[in-house]
This record gives sequence, structure tokens and C-alpha cells, in this order.
Amino acid sequence: MDEEPSSYERVAYKNDSVYHYMKICLIFGNERKPLSAEQFKQLIISGLKELYGEVGAAFPFDVLTFDQFVLSAILRVYNNGLVKLWSALTLIGSCENESCAFRVTQVSSSVSKLILVLKSTGTSCRSL
Amino acid sequence: MSVFMDLNILAITDKKKLQSTIETAAHLGYSTVAINYVVEPQQKKQQIPKPESVTELFEKFPIVQGKSRPIKVLNRLTVVATDASHFRPSNEYKSFDILAVYPKTEKLFHAACMTYDVDIICIAVTEKQPFHCKRSPVNGAIERGVSFEISYTAAIRDSTMKKYTIANAINLTEVCKGKNVILTSGAEVPIELRGPYDIANLGLVFGLSEGDAKAAVSTNCRAVVLHGETRATALGIIHTMKRMQPTGQEQEEESPAAKKAKVVKV
Repeated sequence: MDEEPSSYERVAYKNDSVYHYMKICLIFGNERKPLSAEQFKQLIISGLKELYGEVGAAFPFDVLTFDQFVLSAILRVYNNGLVKLWSALTLIGSCENESCAFRVTQVSSSVSKLILVLKSTGTSCRSL
Repeated sequence: MSVFMDLNILAITDKKKLQSTIETAAHLGYSTVAINYVVEPQQKKQQIPKPESVTELFEKFPIVQGKSRPIKVLNRLTVVATDASHFRPSNEYKSFDILAVYPKTEKLFHAACMTYDVDIICIAVTEKQPFHCKRSPVNGAIERGVSFEISYTAAIRDSTMKKYTIANAINLTEVCKGKNVILTSGAEVPIELRGPYDIANLGLVFGLSEGDAKAAVSTNCRAVVLHGETRATALGIIHTMKRMQPTGQEQEEESPAAKKAKVVKV
């Protein structure tokens, strides 16, 4: 075979960020409840406590932005808490006796990537 | 390339609700869903339901998000077996694409793993599994290509069920080492569905590795669908796919097959 060996350059991107950012959106089954940012965070914390208990849920996460009208938010969490936070969000099924669900729109290790698509996903979130 | 599947959407009589559940599944990125009919023979004289034709369900199937293809809908039957007489191969099973069995006793679990001609064995999620999954029947099932199903809707509905679901799932994944596990919803209403990546992440909580967890919503489900197709045939099935040739490489058409494969690879 006269094919010349192809040369590769391996580019590895090492993720130095200690945080992961999640863009999430809360939807309700029947009627929408008005929620404040505090109530929103409390809902997530109660979900975490239900799944992992007091000790398991004792890791910090922050709500960076919260939109009251579409109930979407950006969360920031340390890398080692991502799986816990995400699974807790998945298993939250009701909020004050009203069925609800968290739709995770995007997960990223840098917040700039998240903001780039913020506008485009904001609308699809609302229609869901 | 992997496509996501949710092989358990409960069949409900309310057609509108079922439609909206399937629409939500398409929106979340599931390429294939299966409508699940459950039959419990221990309740007297329960007939095996006739699956409704999927083409009648929608005039136009909803488009899968990010795939620009319509969603594929299959029919599935789940037999809840408490007694050996409950599962008997019959012609009525043949009208379903996928066949599942939910064994309630250890003896039936053993039989389901080793001999039953099924695609899926359901693991209890609403109660504590009354028996321990032993390694030998589980390995037998894996060898035969039968998958184990964990459905997550019960875990969303109730916190006690959450406990059972996680306990039984960890129990299973320890024995089968993450092989041949599928994660499905079992949803009745759209709000109970979760996205495929959410479920892959949930798989980590159930003790699966990252790769196994992703396979549990994609490749393992595909294996189940193909296994279901083989039941209808004598031996097996072959899938062919048309492959688009890049237009610039037309002169290389005549080169031997081995070389062509290489060109495609590069």
C-alpha cells in the first residue's frame, strides 16, 4: 500500500475548572406555582436531603441566576457534587403536592459556554 | 452514534394522554419508545390485550429533538408471573415487538433467566425483591442476551419506593456487574419522564459505571429491540444501511473493497 502514514496531533483539553454549571428549568404538570428564588433552592435542598440524608446532602451549591417567569436557573456545583445534585434533581417529582419535573437543559464546566446558548434554549424551555 | 430509547411507557386508554407522553419523549430526545401492556394472569381470566396499531396513534409522528426523524413506537407486553403456569408461549405474544416477564418468585426468576423466550426480565421497584438475584441465573440470562429492566417512575412518585428501587437496583448491578441492564421510565403522564442524560446520571446512583449507565439507555435497549425481532424469526436478523458515498471519491469506486474501507476510515 502506498498510503502515507497519516500524522495525528492529539489535542487534549484538560479541564481545570473546579465547578460544573447546570442550566435547569422547572416545569409543572398541571398548574404553575409562583416560586421565589429561596423556595426554589429549598425545593432542591429538600430533594437532596430526601435522597442522600443530612450528611450526604452537605455539600455546597449555588443558584447563580433564577428567572421567576420561566422558572429556569443556573446552578454552580463543585465537580464532586455534580452526580449527587443531578440525581437528586432527577428524582424530585413533586413540589407542594403538585407534580413537577426538572428539565436539565445543559451541563458544562465553564459558564461562558452556558451563556452562549442561554438565549436559544430559553424559549424551548418555556414551550416544554 | 447512539440513539436513546425508553422501552416502557405504560399503555393507558386515554389516547390523548398517551400521545402527549410520546410527544414529550420525542422532545426529550428519545428516538424509540415502547408502549407497555401489562397482563397479570393471577387476576382471574385476564385476557392478553391486543396491541393497538401504532400507525393509528398519530397522523404524523412527532420529530425527535436533535435527530430530525420521527419517533419510532413499538408495542411491548409484560407478563406478571406468580406461578409457572402464567407464562406460556402462545401466538398472542407474537403480535408484540418486545416481550417482558416480571417474575415474583425465585423459582420463576431462575426459569425466566435460563429458559423463557423473553427479551426483558423486570426487577421489582415497588416492593423489596423477595429473593436475592443469584449469580448463576443472571449470568445465564446475560449469555442468552436477555436484559434486566429497572424502571424509575416509582422512585419519583414515592420516597419509600425510591428506597426499594435503589436497593433492588444496586443488588442487581452488583451481581450482573453492569451488563445487560436497561433503564426505563414506566411513565403514565408526561411529567414523569426524564431526559436520557438525566437517567444515565441516575444509573451512576444505581451502581453502574459511566459507560454502562449510558449503555443502559442506548445500546442495551437497541440490543433488546433486536432480540425482540429475532424471536419472530428462526435464527437471527441482519441490518443493512445505505451509506452515502462522498461525491469527491467517485474515481475510487473501482478500488478493492479493503482499500475503500480505509478511505472511509480516514
